[in-house]
Amino acid sequence: MFGRYERDFEYSDADVKLRIDRSGTIPVYTRDCNGAHVEKYLTGDYNAIHICPVEPVNLPEEITHHLEIAFPEIVLPPEVKQTIYLKFPVETGVFFEIHREMDVLDIFSFVPTRFSLYGRPDAGVITRWYRSDLYSCVPATDLHREGVLELALVNHCATTVEISRAVFDSHHMTIFYGERVGMTATMEVWSPAIAQTTFATTPPPGCPNRSIDLYTSQKFPVGPMKGYMMESGMT
Amino acid sequence: MIAQAMPNSTEIITTLSNETSLIGTASTREVVQFFVLLILAYVIGLVIAHYLKLRLSHKLKSDQLVLLIRFVRVILILIVVSFSLPGLLDLSITILALVFVALVAIIGLSSQNVISNMIGGLAMLYESPFKSGDFINTNDVSGTVISTRLFSVLIRTTSGVYVQIPNAQIYSSDVSNYFAHVARRYEYVVGIRYQDDVKKATAIITRILEGYTYVLVHPAPEVFVNDIDADSVRVMFRVWFPSVWARTKDDISLQTAILPRVKAALEAEGIEMPYAHREILFTTPIVTQPGPGGK
Repeated sequence: MFGRYERDFEYSDADVKLRIDRSGTIPVYTRDCNGAHVEKYLTGDYNAIHICPVEPVNLPEEITHHLEIAFPEIVLPPEVKQTIYLKFPVETGVFFEIHREMDVLDIFSFVPTRFSLYGRPDAGVITRWYRSDLYSCVPATDLHREGVLELALVNHCATTVEISRAVFDSHHMTIFYGERVGMTATMEVWSPAIAQTTFATTPPPGCPNRSIDLYTSQKFPVGPMKGYMMESGMT
Repeated sequence: MIAQAMPNSTEIITTLSNETSLIGTASTREVVQFFVLLILAYVIGLVIAHYLKLRLSHKLKSDQLVLLIRFVRVILILIVVSFSLPGLLDLSITILALVFVALVAIIGLSSQNVISNMIGGLAMLYESPFKSGDFINTNDVSGTVISTRLFSVLIRTTSGVYVQIPNAQIYSSDVSNYFAHVARRYEYVVGIRYQDDVKKATAIITRILEGYTYVLVHPAPEVFVNDIDADSVRVMFRVWFPSVWARTKDDISLQTAILPRVKAALEAEGIEMPYAHREILFTTPIVTQPGPGGK
Protein backbone atom coordinates (compact mmCIF):
# COMPACT_ATOMS: atom_id res chain seq x y z
CA MET A 1 0.00 0.00 0.00
CA PHE A 2 2.80 2.44 0.81
CA GLY A 3 4.35 4.34 -2.06
CA ARG A 4 3.70 6.92 -4.77
CA TYR A 5 0.72 6.62 -7.05
CA GLU A 6 -0.21 8.46 -10.21
CA ARG A 7 -3.32 10.58 -10.45
CA ASP A 8 -5.66 7.66 -11.15
CA PHE A 9 -5.22 5.06 -8.54
CA GLU A 10 -7.06 2.30 -6.79
CA TYR A 11 -5.85 0.05 -4.02
CA SER A 12 -7.67 -2.65 -2.15
CA ASP A 13 -6.82 -5.48 0.20
CA ALA A 14 -8.63 -7.31 2.96
CA ASP A 15 -8.49 -4.30 5.27
CA VAL A 16 -8.93 -1.22 3.14
CA LYS A 17 -10.13 0.02 -0.21
CA LEU A 18 -8.73 3.32 -1.53
CA ARG A 19 -9.73 4.94 -4.79
CA ILE A 20 -9.73 8.19 -6.69
CA ASP A 21 -12.67 8.40 -9.03
CA ARG A 22 -12.10 10.86 -11.86
CA SER A 23 -15.16 10.00 -13.88
CA GLY A 24 -17.10 13.04 -12.65
CA THR A 25 -16.29 16.72 -13.05
CA ILE A 26 -14.44 16.77 -9.71
CA PRO A 27 -12.15 13.89 -8.67
CA VAL A 28 -13.38 12.06 -5.58
CA TYR A 29 -11.18 10.28 -3.08
CA THR A 30 -12.89 7.42 -1.25
CA ARG A 31 -11.73 5.16 1.53
CA ASP A 32 -13.54 2.15 2.97
CA CYS A 33 -12.07 0.54 6.06
CA ASN A 34 -13.08 -0.41 9.59
CA GLY A 35 -16.70 -0.24 8.44
CA ALA A 36 -16.38 3.47 7.69
CA HIS A 37 -16.72 5.21 4.35
CA VAL A 38 -14.84 8.46 3.77
CA GLU A 39 -15.36 10.60 0.69
CA LYS A 40 -13.50 13.80 -0.21
CA TYR A 41 -13.70 15.92 -3.32
CA LEU A 42 -10.34 17.03 -4.69
CA THR A 43 -9.95 20.45 -6.19
CA GLY A 44 -6.72 21.72 -7.70
CA ASP A 45 -4.49 19.97 -10.17
CA TYR A 46 -2.55 17.44 -8.11
CA ASN A 47 0.36 15.52 -9.58
CA ALA A 48 0.41 12.34 -7.52
CA ILE A 49 -0.78 10.58 -4.39
CA HIS A 50 1.63 9.43 -1.68
CA ILE A 51 0.71 6.84 0.94
CA CYS A 52 3.07 6.27 3.83
CA PRO A 53 3.11 5.72 7.59
CA VAL A 54 2.88 8.89 9.66
CA GLU A 55 3.47 9.81 13.30
CA PRO A 56 0.95 7.67 15.21
CA VAL A 57 -0.66 10.42 17.26
CA ASN A 58 -3.38 11.78 14.99
CA LEU A 59 -6.40 9.54 15.53
CA PRO A 60 -9.23 9.66 16.29
CA GLU A 61 -8.47 13.36 16.69
CA GLU A 62 -5.39 15.37 17.55
CA ILE A 63 -5.21 15.32 21.34
CA THR A 64 -1.51 14.90 21.95
CA HIS A 65 1.80 14.78 20.12
CA HIS A 66 3.42 12.35 22.55
CA LEU A 67 3.70 8.61 22.04
CA GLU A 68 4.13 6.34 25.05
CA ILE A 69 5.18 2.73 24.64
CA ALA A 70 4.76 0.49 27.68
CA PHE A 71 6.74 -2.74 27.77
CA PRO A 72 7.79 -5.44 30.28
CA GLU A 73 10.15 -4.06 32.89
CA ILE A 74 13.83 -4.17 31.99
CA VAL A 75 16.67 -3.75 34.48
CA LEU A 76 19.62 -1.69 33.24
CA PRO A 77 22.88 -1.70 35.26
CA PRO A 78 25.00 1.48 35.52
CA GLU A 79 26.96 2.67 32.48
CA VAL A 80 25.42 -0.01 30.26
CA LYS A 81 24.07 0.37 26.74
CA GLN A 82 21.42 -2.10 25.59
CA THR A 83 19.44 -2.18 22.35
CA ILE A 84 15.89 -3.49 22.46
CA TYR A 85 13.13 -3.73 19.88
CA LEU A 86 9.56 -2.61 20.50
CA LYS A 87 6.48 -2.41 18.36
CA PHE A 88 4.57 0.80 17.79
CA PRO A 89 1.17 1.43 16.16
CA VAL A 90 1.06 2.48 12.54
CA GLU A 91 -1.13 5.26 11.22
CA THR A 92 -1.28 5.65 7.47
CA GLY A 93 -1.29 9.04 5.80
CA VAL A 94 -2.57 9.80 2.32
CA PHE A 95 -0.99 12.91 0.80
CA PHE A 96 -1.61 14.65 -2.47
CA GLU A 97 1.21 16.39 -4.23
CA ILE A 98 0.66 19.77 -5.85
CA HIS A 99 3.66 21.55 -7.36
CA ARG A 100 6.08 19.51 -5.19
CA GLU A 101 4.17 20.50 -2.05
CA MET A 102 2.55 17.76 0.03
CA ASP A 103 -0.81 18.18 1.68
CA VAL A 104 -2.60 15.71 3.94
CA LEU A 105 -5.69 14.19 2.45
CA ASP A 106 -6.53 11.44 4.89
CA ILE A 107 -5.17 9.55 7.87
CA PHE A 108 -6.40 6.17 9.00
CA SER A 109 -5.32 3.25 11.14
CA PHE A 110 -6.30 -0.32 11.90
CA VAL A 111 -5.07 -0.12 15.48
CA PRO A 112 -7.40 1.01 18.29
CA THR A 113 -6.26 4.16 20.07
CA ARG A 114 -5.73 4.50 23.82
CA PHE A 115 -4.57 7.54 25.74
CA SER A 116 -2.72 7.85 29.02
CA LEU A 117 -1.33 10.44 31.40
CA TYR A 118 2.42 10.65 31.91
CA GLY A 119 3.16 12.58 35.09
CA ARG A 120 0.73 14.48 37.29
CA PRO A 121 -2.51 16.01 35.99
CA ASP A 122 -1.18 19.51 36.66
CA ALA A 123 2.28 19.04 35.18
CA GLY A 124 2.18 15.94 32.99
CA VAL A 125 1.32 15.25 29.39
CA ILE A 126 -1.36 13.22 27.67
CA THR A 127 0.16 10.44 25.58
CA ARG A 128 -0.99 8.09 22.86
CA TRP A 129 -0.47 4.80 24.72
CA TYR A 130 0.61 1.51 23.23
CA ARG A 131 1.55 -1.77 24.87
CA SER A 132 4.40 -3.72 23.29
CA ASP A 133 6.31 -6.86 24.08
CA LEU A 134 10.06 -6.69 24.44
CA TYR A 135 12.25 -8.17 21.69
CA SER A 136 15.98 -8.75 21.43
CA CYS A 137 15.89 -8.78 17.62
CA VAL A 138 13.62 -7.36 14.93
CA PRO A 139 10.19 -8.99 15.39
CA ALA A 140 7.82 -9.95 12.63
CA THR A 141 5.08 -7.37 12.14
CA ASP A 142 1.98 -6.70 10.14
CA LEU A 143 3.17 -3.89 7.87
CA HIS A 144 -0.07 -1.92 8.05
CA ARG A 145 -0.59 -2.26 11.79
CA GLU A 146 2.75 -2.31 13.58
CA GLY A 147 6.16 -0.80 13.17
CA VAL A 148 9.44 -1.73 14.83
CA LEU A 149 11.24 0.73 17.09
CA GLU A 150 14.92 0.07 17.63
CA LEU A 151 15.54 1.64 21.01
CA ALA A 152 19.03 2.05 22.42
CA LEU A 153 18.91 2.32 26.20
CA VAL A 154 21.89 4.06 27.75
CA ASN A 155 22.23 4.30 31.51
CA HIS A 156 24.46 7.25 32.43
CA CYS A 157 23.69 7.21 36.15
CA ALA A 158 25.56 5.33 38.85
CA THR A 159 22.67 3.13 39.92
CA THR A 160 20.72 0.34 38.33
CA VAL A 161 17.45 1.56 36.85
CA GLU A 162 14.21 -0.16 35.94
CA ILE A 163 12.48 0.87 32.74
CA SER A 164 9.06 -0.14 31.55
CA ARG A 165 7.95 2.78 29.44
CA ALA A 166 9.29 5.30 27.02
CA VAL A 167 7.68 8.59 25.99
CA PHE A 168 8.51 10.27 22.67
CA ASP A 169 7.72 13.63 21.12
CA SER A 170 6.27 12.97 17.68
CA HIS A 171 7.41 16.36 16.40
CA HIS A 172 10.85 14.87 16.00
CA MET A 173 9.87 11.42 14.78
CA THR A 174 11.44 10.11 11.62
CA ILE A 175 9.63 7.08 10.23
CA PHE A 176 10.98 4.84 7.49
CA TYR A 177 9.30 2.06 5.56
CA GLY A 178 10.16 -0.78 3.21
CA GLU A 179 9.91 -4.42 4.26
CA ARG A 180 8.47 -3.04 7.47
CA VAL A 181 7.81 0.27 9.16
CA GLY A 182 10.68 1.32 11.40
CA MET A 183 12.18 3.99 13.61
CA THR A 184 15.41 4.30 15.53
CA ALA A 185 15.56 6.07 18.88
CA THR A 186 17.77 6.48 21.90
CA MET A 187 16.76 6.70 25.55
CA GLU A 188 19.46 8.17 27.74
CA VAL A 189 18.88 7.67 31.44
CA TRP A 190 20.29 10.47 33.60
CA SER A 191 18.80 9.43 36.94
CA PRO A 192 16.29 6.82 38.16
CA ALA A 193 13.52 9.35 37.42
CA ILE A 194 14.85 11.30 34.43
CA ALA A 195 15.59 10.18 30.89
CA GLN A 196 15.71 11.78 27.47
CA THR A 197 14.40 10.21 24.29
CA THR A 198 15.58 11.26 20.84
CA PHE A 199 15.11 9.95 17.32
CA ALA A 200 17.81 9.14 14.80
CA THR A 201 17.44 10.26 11.20
CA THR A 202 19.25 7.24 9.78
CA PRO A 203 17.03 4.51 8.30
CA PRO A 204 16.91 1.17 10.11
CA PRO A 205 17.82 -1.96 8.06
CA GLY A 206 15.08 -2.99 5.66
CA CYS A 207 13.39 0.43 5.72
CA PRO A 208 15.02 2.51 2.96
CA ASN A 209 12.16 4.95 2.32
CA ARG A 210 11.60 7.96 4.51
CA SER A 211 8.01 8.85 5.30
CA ILE A 212 6.62 12.31 4.78
CA ASP A 213 6.83 14.18 8.07
CA LEU A 214 3.30 15.16 8.91
CA TYR A 215 4.24 18.31 10.79
CA THR A 216 6.56 19.50 8.06
CA SER A 217 3.98 18.86 5.37
CA GLN A 218 1.41 20.82 7.36
CA LYS A 219 3.91 23.68 7.71
CA PHE A 220 3.87 23.51 11.49
CA PRO A 221 6.90 25.20 13.01
CA VAL A 222 9.02 22.53 14.67
CA GLY A 223 11.92 23.57 16.87
CA PRO A 224 15.42 22.09 16.80
CA MET A 225 15.61 18.41 17.69
CA LYS A 226 16.02 18.07 21.42
CA GLY A 227 13.87 15.03 22.05
CA TYR A 228 11.60 14.58 25.02
CA MET A 229 12.75 14.80 28.61
CA MET A 230 10.97 12.20 30.74
CA GLU A 231 10.90 13.72 34.20
CA SER A 232 8.18 11.63 35.81
CA GLY A 233 9.88 8.29 35.99
CA MET A 234 10.32 5.31 33.70
CA THR A 235 8.11 2.69 35.35
CA MET B 1 5.80 77.08 65.70
CA ILE B 2 3.41 75.30 63.38
CA ALA B 3 1.22 78.35 63.12
CA GLN B 4 4.26 80.40 62.13
CA ALA B 5 5.34 77.87 59.48
CA MET B 6 1.89 77.58 57.92
CA PRO B 7 1.12 80.30 55.36
CA ASN B 8 -1.99 82.27 56.09
CA SER B 9 -4.90 82.53 53.66
CA THR B 10 -3.75 85.89 52.29
CA GLU B 11 -0.34 84.44 51.39
CA ILE B 12 -1.97 81.43 49.63
CA ILE B 13 -4.23 83.70 47.59
CA THR B 14 -1.23 85.88 46.73
CA THR B 15 0.80 82.84 45.66
CA LEU B 16 -2.07 81.52 43.52
CA SER B 17 -2.69 84.94 41.99
CA ASN B 18 1.01 85.15 41.07
CA GLU B 19 0.78 81.72 39.33
CA THR B 20 -2.65 82.13 37.81
CA SER B 21 -1.38 81.85 34.27
CA LEU B 22 -2.84 78.39 33.97
CA ILE B 23 -2.56 78.37 30.21
CA GLY B 24 0.54 80.21 29.09
CA THR B 25 1.47 81.27 25.59
CA ALA B 26 3.06 78.14 24.18
CA SER B 27 5.35 78.67 21.23
CA THR B 28 4.95 76.71 18.03
CA ARG B 29 8.19 74.92 18.81
CA GLU B 30 6.85 73.70 22.15
CA VAL B 31 3.60 72.50 20.59
CA VAL B 32 5.51 70.63 17.86
CA GLN B 33 7.84 69.19 20.51
CA PHE B 34 4.83 67.95 22.47
CA PHE B 35 3.31 66.20 19.47
CA VAL B 36 6.67 64.77 18.43
CA LEU B 37 7.00 63.30 21.91
CA LEU B 38 3.49 61.88 21.65
CA ILE B 39 4.32 60.25 18.31
CA LEU B 40 7.59 58.99 19.76
CA ALA B 41 5.71 57.44 22.69
CA TYR B 42 3.29 55.87 20.22
CA VAL B 43 6.14 54.41 18.16
CA ILE B 44 7.98 53.17 21.26
CA GLY B 45 4.68 51.59 22.33
CA LEU B 46 4.50 49.76 18.99
CA VAL B 47 8.09 48.55 19.36
CA ILE B 48 7.44 47.34 22.92
CA ALA B 49 4.23 45.65 21.74
CA HIS B 50 6.18 43.84 19.03
CA TYR B 51 8.81 42.78 21.55
CA LEU B 52 6.16 41.56 24.01
CA LYS B 53 4.45 39.59 21.27
CA LEU B 54 7.72 37.90 20.36
CA ARG B 55 8.67 37.13 23.94
CA LEU B 56 5.31 36.29 25.50
CA SER B 57 3.06 34.98 22.73
CA HIS B 58 3.79 31.38 23.73
CA LYS B 59 3.26 32.11 27.42
CA LEU B 60 0.12 34.26 27.38
CA LYS B 61 -3.16 33.86 25.61
CA SER B 62 -3.86 36.43 22.91
CA ASP B 63 -6.40 38.37 24.97
CA GLN B 64 -4.03 38.56 27.94
CA LEU B 65 -1.25 39.77 25.67
CA VAL B 66 -3.49 42.42 24.14
CA LEU B 67 -4.45 43.58 27.64
CA LEU B 68 -0.80 43.87 28.69
CA ILE B 69 0.19 45.72 25.51
CA ARG B 70 -2.67 48.19 25.87
CA PHE B 71 -1.71 48.84 29.46
CA VAL B 72 1.94 49.51 28.58
CA ARG B 73 0.99 51.84 25.72
CA VAL B 74 -1.44 53.83 27.87
CA ILE B 75 1.22 54.21 30.56
CA LEU B 76 3.71 55.49 27.97
CA ILE B 77 1.26 58.11 26.67
CA LEU B 78 0.42 59.17 30.23
CA ILE B 79 4.12 59.61 31.05
CA VAL B 80 4.64 61.86 28.02
CA VAL B 81 1.53 63.91 28.78
CA SER B 82 2.37 64.32 32.45
CA PHE B 83 5.93 65.47 31.69
CA SER B 84 5.22 67.66 28.66
CA LEU B 85 1.88 69.24 29.38
CA PRO B 86 2.92 71.35 32.40
CA GLY B 87 5.69 73.04 30.38
CA LEU B 88 3.47 73.45 27.37
CA LEU B 89 0.60 75.03 29.27
CA ASP B 90 2.95 76.90 31.61
CA LEU B 91 1.52 75.26 34.70
CA SER B 92 3.39 75.60 37.96
CA ILE B 93 4.19 72.55 40.04
CA THR B 94 1.92 73.78 42.84
CA ILE B 95 -1.05 74.14 40.55
CA LEU B 96 -0.27 70.81 38.92
CA ALA B 97 -0.06 69.12 42.31
CA LEU B 98 -3.38 70.64 43.36
CA VAL B 99 -5.05 69.58 40.12
CA PHE B 100 -3.55 66.11 40.42
CA VAL B 101 -4.77 65.69 43.99
CA ALA B 102 -8.20 66.95 43.06
CA LEU B 103 -8.35 64.63 40.05
CA VAL B 104 -7.27 61.65 42.11
CA ALA B 105 -9.89 62.49 44.74
CA ILE B 106 -12.64 62.90 42.14
CA ILE B 107 -11.69 59.78 40.20
CA GLY B 108 -11.21 57.81 43.39
CA LEU B 109 -14.64 58.72 44.71
CA SER B 110 -16.60 58.47 41.49
CA SER B 111 -14.87 55.53 39.83
CA GLN B 112 -14.12 53.12 42.63
CA ASN B 113 -15.64 50.23 40.70
CA VAL B 114 -13.81 51.06 37.48
CA ILE B 115 -10.47 51.23 39.24
CA SER B 116 -11.06 48.07 41.26
CA ASN B 117 -12.07 46.27 38.07
CA MET B 118 -8.91 47.44 36.35
CA ILE B 119 -6.75 46.38 39.29
CA GLY B 120 -8.60 43.06 39.36
CA GLY B 121 -7.91 42.61 35.64
CA LEU B 122 -4.20 43.28 36.12
CA ALA B 123 -4.07 40.92 39.10
CA MET B 124 -5.74 38.18 37.05
CA LEU B 125 -3.33 38.84 34.21
CA TYR B 126 -0.48 38.22 36.62
CA GLU B 127 -1.99 35.18 38.34
CA SER B 128 -3.68 33.68 35.26
CA PRO B 129 -6.34 31.57 37.00
CA PHE B 130 -7.83 30.86 33.57
CA LYS B 131 -7.29 31.54 29.88
CA SER B 132 -9.67 32.17 27.04
CA GLY B 133 -11.14 28.83 26.02
CA ASP B 134 -11.16 27.42 29.57
CA PHE B 135 -14.43 26.27 31.09
CA ILE B 136 -14.90 27.97 34.45
CA ASN B 137 -17.46 28.34 37.19
CA THR B 138 -17.61 31.61 39.09
CA ASN B 139 -20.32 33.72 40.67
CA ASP B 140 -22.92 31.04 39.87
CA VAL B 141 -22.04 31.24 36.16
CA SER B 142 -20.57 28.27 34.27
CA GLY B 143 -19.21 28.66 30.80
CA THR B 144 -16.31 29.04 28.42
CA VAL B 145 -14.15 32.14 28.77
CA ILE B 146 -14.34 34.14 25.54
CA SER B 147 -11.87 36.84 26.55
CA THR B 148 -10.32 38.61 29.50
CA ARG B 149 -10.54 42.38 29.18
CA LEU B 150 -9.26 45.33 31.17
CA PHE B 151 -12.47 45.68 33.20
CA SER B 152 -14.41 42.47 32.71
CA VAL B 153 -14.40 38.84 31.61
CA LEU B 154 -16.70 37.61 28.87
CA ILE B 155 -18.17 34.13 29.27
CA ARG B 156 -20.32 32.04 26.96
CA THR B 157 -22.51 29.64 28.91
CA THR B 158 -23.28 26.14 27.64
CA SER B 159 -26.71 27.41 26.60
CA GLY B 160 -25.05 30.08 24.46
CA VAL B 161 -25.75 33.07 26.72
CA TYR B 162 -23.22 35.93 26.69
CA VAL B 163 -22.27 36.92 30.24
CA GLN B 164 -20.04 39.81 31.24
CA ILE B 165 -18.62 39.66 34.77
CA PRO B 166 -16.60 42.56 36.26
CA ASN B 167 -13.00 41.63 37.04
CA ALA B 168 -13.25 42.77 40.68
CA GLN B 169 -16.19 40.43 41.21
CA ILE B 170 -14.30 37.45 39.79
CA TYR B 171 -11.08 38.27 41.59
CA SER B 172 -12.83 38.44 44.96
CA SER B 173 -14.76 35.18 44.52
CA ASP B 174 -14.06 31.48 44.01
CA VAL B 175 -13.16 30.36 40.50
CA SER B 176 -13.22 26.72 39.40
CA ASN B 177 -11.28 26.07 36.21
CA TYR B 178 -12.21 22.66 34.83
CA PHE B 179 -9.54 22.50 32.13
CA ALA B 180 -6.50 24.00 33.81
CA HIS B 181 -4.85 20.58 33.98
CA VAL B 182 -4.20 18.13 31.17
CA ALA B 183 -6.52 15.47 32.58
CA ARG B 184 -9.74 15.54 34.54
CA ARG B 185 -11.64 12.91 36.51
CA TYR B 186 -15.36 12.23 36.13
CA GLU B 187 -17.54 10.13 38.41
CA TYR B 188 -20.56 8.07 37.51
CA VAL B 189 -22.83 5.90 39.64
CA VAL B 190 -25.13 3.04 38.64
CA GLY B 191 -27.37 1.02 40.94
CA ILE B 192 -27.77 -2.74 40.56
CA ARG B 193 -30.14 -5.17 42.30
CA TYR B 194 -29.21 -6.84 45.57
CA GLN B 195 -29.27 -10.29 43.99
CA ASP B 196 -26.86 -9.32 41.18
CA ASP B 197 -23.21 -10.34 41.30
CA VAL B 198 -21.20 -7.24 42.23
CA LYS B 199 -17.89 -8.71 41.01
CA LYS B 200 -19.41 -9.51 37.67
CA ALA B 201 -20.88 -6.01 37.39
CA THR B 202 -17.56 -4.32 38.20
CA ALA B 203 -15.77 -6.57 35.70
CA ILE B 204 -18.27 -5.64 32.97
CA ILE B 205 -17.97 -1.92 33.70
CA THR B 206 -14.16 -2.16 33.75
CA ARG B 207 -14.19 -3.92 30.39
CA ILE B 208 -16.43 -1.24 28.89
CA LEU B 209 -14.22 1.55 30.20
CA GLU B 210 -11.02 -0.09 28.98
CA GLY B 211 -12.53 -0.36 25.53
CA TYR B 212 -13.40 3.31 25.36
CA THR B 213 -10.79 5.32 23.46
CA TYR B 214 -10.74 8.44 25.59
CA VAL B 215 -10.62 6.77 29.00
CA LEU B 216 -7.02 7.12 30.16
CA VAL B 217 -4.99 4.00 30.81
CA HIS B 218 -3.15 5.80 33.60
CA PRO B 219 -4.62 6.75 36.05
CA ALA B 220 -6.60 3.58 35.60
CA PRO B 221 -10.40 3.66 35.97
CA GLU B 222 -11.65 2.73 39.44
CA VAL B 223 -14.85 0.70 39.83
CA PHE B 224 -16.17 -0.06 43.32
CA VAL B 225 -19.27 -0.30 45.49
CA ASN B 226 -19.65 3.02 47.23
CA ASP B 227 -23.07 2.62 48.85
CA ILE B 228 -25.81 0.15 49.60
CA ASP B 229 -29.05 2.03 49.74
CA ALA B 230 -32.65 0.99 50.27
CA ASP B 231 -33.24 -0.03 46.66
CA SER B 232 -29.92 -0.91 45.10
CA VAL B 233 -26.23 -1.57 45.43
CA ARG B 234 -24.57 1.54 44.07
CA VAL B 235 -21.48 0.99 41.94
CA MET B 236 -19.32 4.05 41.37
CA PHE B 237 -16.73 4.37 38.62
CA ARG B 238 -14.14 7.08 38.39
CA VAL B 239 -12.68 7.79 35.01
CA TRP B 240 -9.96 10.16 33.81
CA PHE B 241 -10.27 11.90 30.46
CA PRO B 242 -7.86 14.17 28.57
CA SER B 243 -8.95 17.74 29.23
CA VAL B 244 -8.19 18.76 25.65
CA TRP B 245 -10.78 16.31 24.43
CA ALA B 246 -13.23 17.04 27.24
CA ARG B 247 -12.92 20.76 26.37
CA THR B 248 -14.98 20.13 23.26
CA LYS B 249 -17.65 18.26 25.20
CA ASP B 250 -19.85 19.10 28.14
CA ASP B 251 -20.63 16.79 31.03
CA ILE B 252 -23.87 15.62 29.42
CA SER B 253 -22.02 14.60 26.26
CA LEU B 254 -19.61 12.54 28.32
CA GLN B 255 -22.46 10.89 30.18
CA THR B 256 -24.28 10.07 26.97
CA ALA B 257 -21.09 8.54 25.63
CA ILE B 258 -20.39 6.36 28.66
CA LEU B 259 -23.58 5.51 30.54
CA PRO B 260 -25.63 3.97 27.68
CA ARG B 261 -22.77 1.57 26.92
CA VAL B 262 -22.57 0.53 30.56
CA LYS B 263 -26.32 0.06 30.82
CA ALA B 264 -26.46 -2.02 27.63
CA ALA B 265 -23.53 -4.20 28.71
CA LEU B 266 -24.96 -4.82 32.18
CA GLU B 267 -28.40 -5.68 30.84
CA ALA B 268 -26.89 -8.00 28.25
CA GLU B 269 -25.33 -9.95 31.13
CA GLY B 270 -28.62 -10.13 33.05
CA ILE B 271 -27.75 -7.40 35.57
CA GLU B 272 -30.57 -4.95 36.05
CA MET B 273 -30.75 -1.45 37.44
CA PRO B 274 -33.73 -1.47 39.80
CA TYR B 275 -36.25 1.28 40.28
CA ALA B 276 -37.24 2.42 43.76
CA HIS B 277 -39.92 0.18 45.24
CA ARG B 278 -41.52 -0.46 48.66
CA GLU B 279 -42.80 -3.71 50.15
CA ILE B 280 -45.69 -3.03 52.55
CA LEU B 281 -46.65 -5.68 55.13
CA PHE B 282 -50.06 -5.51 56.82
CA THR B 283 -50.24 -6.84 60.38
CA THR B 284 -54.00 -7.45 60.14
CA PRO B 285 -55.81 -9.14 57.22
CA ILE B 286 -57.36 -6.71 54.76
CA VAL B 287 -61.09 -7.17 54.30
CA THR B 288 -62.23 -6.15 50.87
CA GLN B 289 -65.84 -5.16 50.29
CA PRO B 290 -67.60 -5.09 46.95
CA GLY B 291 -68.14 -1.60 45.56
CA PRO B 292 -71.21 -0.19 43.82
CA GLY B 293 -72.68 -2.65 41.35
CA GLY B 294 -71.05 -5.57 43.09
CA LYS B 295 -67.62 -4.79 41.62
